[in-house]
Amino acid sequence: MLKSKLLFLTLILGTLSFTAFSFEKTVENSVQTLLSNNKTELDSVVNFLVETKTPHTYALIGAILEKRLYVKGTKAYTLFPGIKSYYEVYPEFKEAGNDVVGIVPLKLSRKYILKFRPLSKYTQLYTPVAQSKLNAYQRFKQSGTLEDVAFLTEQLKTESDEKVKTAGYEAIYTIWLLSGDEQLEMNALAKLGEGASDQMLDPLEQYLKKKENAPQDQSYILASELISDIQAHERFINTAQNLFSGISLGSILLLVALGLGIIYGLAGVINMSHGEFLMIGAYTTYVIQQCFIAYLPASWFEGYFWVSLPLSFITAGLIGLLIERLIIRHLYNKPLESLLGTWGLSLIMIQICRSIFGDITAVKSPELLSGGIEVMDGLILPFNRLFIIGLTVFMGVLTYIVFFKSRLGVKIRAVTQNRNMSACLGISTKRIDAMTFFLGSGLAGIAGCAMTLIGNVVPNMGKTYIVDSFLIVVVGGVGKLVGIIASAMGVGVLSKIFESFYEAVYGKVIMLAIIIFFLQFKPKGLFPDKGRLSEE
Amino acid sequence: MPLGNLLGFVETNTMTLWGRYFCFAIAAIGIDLIWGYTGVLSMTQAFFFCLGAYGIGMYMTLSNLPEGHQLPAFMEWNQVTELPTFWAPFSSFPLAFILSLLVPALFSLIFGFFVFRSRIQGVYFAIITQALALAMFLLFSRNETMLGGTNGLTDFKYLLGFDLRETSTKLGLYFISFIVLCLIYIYSSFLTKSKFGKGLVAIRDSESRMRFTGYGVSAYKITIFMIGSVIAAIGGMLYLPQTGIITPGRMDVQASIEMIVWVALGGRGNLKGAVLGAIVVNLLYSIFTSILPGGWLYVLGGLFVITVLYLDKGMIGLFQQIQAYIKTFFASDKNNKEAENEVINVSA
Repeated sequence: MLKSKLLFLTLILGTLSFTAFSFEKTVENSVQTLLSNNKTELDSVVNFLVETKTPHTYALIGAILEKRLYVKGTKAYTLFPGIKSYYEVYPEFKEAGNDVVGIVPLKLSRKYILKFRPLSKYTQLYTPVAQSKLNAYQRFKQSGTLEDVAFLTEQLKTESDEKVKTAGYEAIYTIWLLSGDEQLEMNALAKLGEGASDQMLDPLEQYLKKKENAPQDQSYILASELISDIQAHERFINTAQNLFSGISLGSILLLVALGLGIIYGLAGVINMSHGEFLMIGAYTTYVIQQCFIAYLPASWFEGYFWVSLPLSFITAGLIGLLIERLIIRHLYNKPLESLLGTWGLSLIMIQICRSIFGDITAVKSPELLSGGIEVMDGLILPFNRLFIIGLTVFMGVLTYIVFFKSRLGVKIRAVTQNRNMSACLGISTKRIDAMTFFLGSGLAGIAGCAMTLIGNVVPNMGKTYIVDSFLIVVVGGVGKLVGIIASAMGVGVLSKIFESFYEAVYGKVIMLAIIIFFLQFKPKGLFPDKGRLSEE
Repeated sequence: MPLGNLLGFVETNTMTLWGRYFCFAIAAIGIDLIWGYTGVLSMTQAFFFCLGAYGIGMYMTLSNLPEGHQLPAFMEWNQVTELPTFWAPFSSFPLAFILSLLVPALFSLIFGFFVFRSRIQGVYFAIITQALALAMFLLFSRNETMLGGTNGLTDFKYLLGFDLRETSTKLGLYFISFIVLCLIYIYSSFLTKSKFGKGLVAIRDSESRMRFTGYGVSAYKITIFMIGSVIAAIGGMLYLPQTGIITPGRMDVQASIEMIVWVALGGRGNLKGAVLGAIVVNLLYSIFTSILPGGWLYVLGGLFVITVLYLDKGMIGLFQQIQAYIKTFFASDKNNKEAENEVINVSA
């Protein structure tokens, strides 16, 4: 069966190439007339080229349609958007290097360009950009007819990119599937049975719709099986994607909540201005980027992010230190008062920032972190989010080491447990407070620097995260590192999952309901203190 | 002041403005009962305020529908063909009035029951209520909750047949607000002096001791939380006809915290302080937004910081301190004089 099909195809191809050959002389002549821009014959030449549909003029016609045609003697060239190198489009389609000497742009009038327009679905296949080529093949799913199959098969023979190849073959199968010829339909279904991408969902559904009134034969069952396979795959991809963005949201929340929780545990201070340290970190990144643009050579630009990471930590930390010394130290162990005072502080900080920087600014991500890894078909993990997760893991481990393996950590934990006793034992609690504030604010600053990778920089960006971060501290238990990590991940992932089922807003409401429900059983968080410490 | 208005000294706009301040003061009394007397910091009072306002707003929206329209304009834009069922009772005033009070009461009862039962207190309670305020703000901002989305409810002309643009209506609302404020003030001061009120103060000062003595602390807290939210709702109900618009912006996280600062600045644990604080802060707001629009947030932020750092008992506390100082000053003066007299007497 298949063999006879192939035979049929080769036959068609044979005739096609034969016709192409017999016209070779005239096509060649016509193209040359076109390239020499001979106004008197242009009309007939264009008509002739449109009628003959010769594949090896398609690249040239594509260049005309894109209005990027250049001529040098008998050869024609083009430039593709985003690519520096010139491409020869006639007589062959190949790369021609960065500069071609002596080429002149050739502009045809709109009238002729419009005439070529019907050929655009073919000409779009002639591009070095894999994505554009892929899109061009996708378009054949709607516009393709049985006559195009031979042309497509010929094109795909020389295609090397796997994804483009799949898209191309699927375009052919789609054409078969919707052709109305039962034999071809079965063929397509058999081919698709070997593996169909989620792009085939629409064509398959169209096919089922067409067959709705017909008796439900084997092909119908096959197609519906294929659809459910594709849908299952899509669901899996969606879940994985949600899980991933949940983890990356959780890691930002974690960076913010870590500092918050430690400070609250240590000093009994609810720091509502903690979100503003995130904002400070983000604006530090912005300022450093502007400095790199203004004072340093362009080739160093990529480095700005790596400079701003530590600097945003230090800036936010220092400002945190300053505010602690000036205001917050008067509010120790007065959580409710500190909540109000620091809220006022955050209002002032936001307003200062707004009057300096204006309402909205954006930081350009470094090249290195744009793009992503494609783990599997359709599942892309963006580098910037991966980087944020990595950064959080790194900072989390670092915090853990500082907390549990260093002298400073021992002191911080001692002061958290019993301030007076620690002071009696010779720990300078003032210095510990200052250090903790520095570290906590710095963590938020780093989170802010990381935030610039995935969002705009606005003065009140901290407010978006502060309420969620506090919920995390509440769920995780105050001053408990492990609890905060667990609850940050939990809240991040759960809220992304709810958001995918419902609207974002309802996700938030459900999340709150769950937390209140959770606190019914664990009013002191995931890992409560036991024994004497637990009484207020 | 109303006299001044009748005589032409005070503009009607100023009157409405003060009417609004009274509404805020009503809400502030509610906060003072919850926070100042019981020590429970609720950061979602603006939401209850708005529940009251929305209740009356829904009635006014339905009673002010233009000729030939079955639905409010924002619903028509969202291609809604039928009035949602929860809107239906709001077409009659008595029902709308009762519901505006009942909904916040029930909401605070249910929320309070779950939260206080698990002994969530202090900071934890503050943060949970803040999250509630955020969630409700987001919920009310959506179009599909059928409450006007971010634009809120507006465009009212009549309330119970009275034209809201008439000066007499405005004056009437001003008086009603003032009277309601007085009534609530009297009720609250009665409440705080009762046995129940003493129990609240005891909870604030030592909750575990109260619990160990056998009092149902949760019941006390739930009750005062309900009373506070209903008082806030009353403020909201009076507020709406005087401003003519209610949007979710009135109930965001910021709004609730501002309400708390009114009480903190005025003097918490003191009903006069709550009223004073609400009026002073809003007066400042009106002044600053007209002369220095960018500066208001600095002032507000500064007020927050100064209040918590230096004004532990608020402005009322400050007055009392000054009063006490003056008293002792004069008293010692008198003593000195008496002593001098004595010396003179002795020498004579």
